[in-house]
Amino acid sequence: MFGPFRLTNPLSGGLLWKVPWRLSRHQKYRQRERLRRVDSVIDTLDSALAKQGQTMKKVVRWKLEMPREEEMLPKDKYTVFDRKVKRYRKGIHKVPKWTRVSQRLNPPGF
Amino acid sequence: MPFFRITLLRSGIGLPAKTAGVLKALGLRKRMTTVYHPVTPDVAGQIMRIKELVDVKEVETSLTKDEMRAARRPDPGYYIETRKPRDLDGKTMGALKSRW
Repeated sequence: MFGPFRLTNPLSGGLLWKVPWRLSRHQKYRQRERLRRVDSVIDTLDSALAKQGQTMKKVVRWKLEMPREEEMLPKDKYTVFDRKVKRYRKGIHKVPKWTRVSQRLNPPGF
Repeated sequence: MPFFRITLLRSGIGLPAKTAGVLKALGLRKRMTTVYHPVTPDVAGQIMRIKELVDVKEVETSLTKDEMRAARRPDPGYYIETRKPRDLDGKTMGALKSRW
């Protein structure tokens, strides 16, 4: 029943990969931390450039358009739009390289 | 002159060539490497492209690799005694004479 050779579905039946359809609460926690980390990088860039009396279009646009972690809905933090999925949402962990890309906005109307 | 202290926390493996190129241009080859770059819009634009991978702080001075290493080195907890310099009669020399 226990140990390395226990009977589980992947061991007894060949190919079976299961990706859960939603994130665990620990994955969600780490996702929030990553969002906050990006926010802090943006803040650092903005304040450092402002001290020099300079601005940068990319930083300004990001601050205008992108919601911060605390402003985002849980729906947007943990799921993304996908036109092929029923009801148009899928878990963000299905996105390739999802821990290293920023995906915060939805297409208009969704 | 202020600097950005940039530390690569997440690897750039498997990311688009442009991202990998920015990492190379900034001198970030491996995870946990730290580089210093002056605060300019050019560098800020490069950081924007790799913002998910790095930790960025604004600091006043830049440190070399050796200086960063020396700053990490812990206090050894001991010191090595050295022999006092003495003259030919065996008397100590210098300002410490009064103590002997």
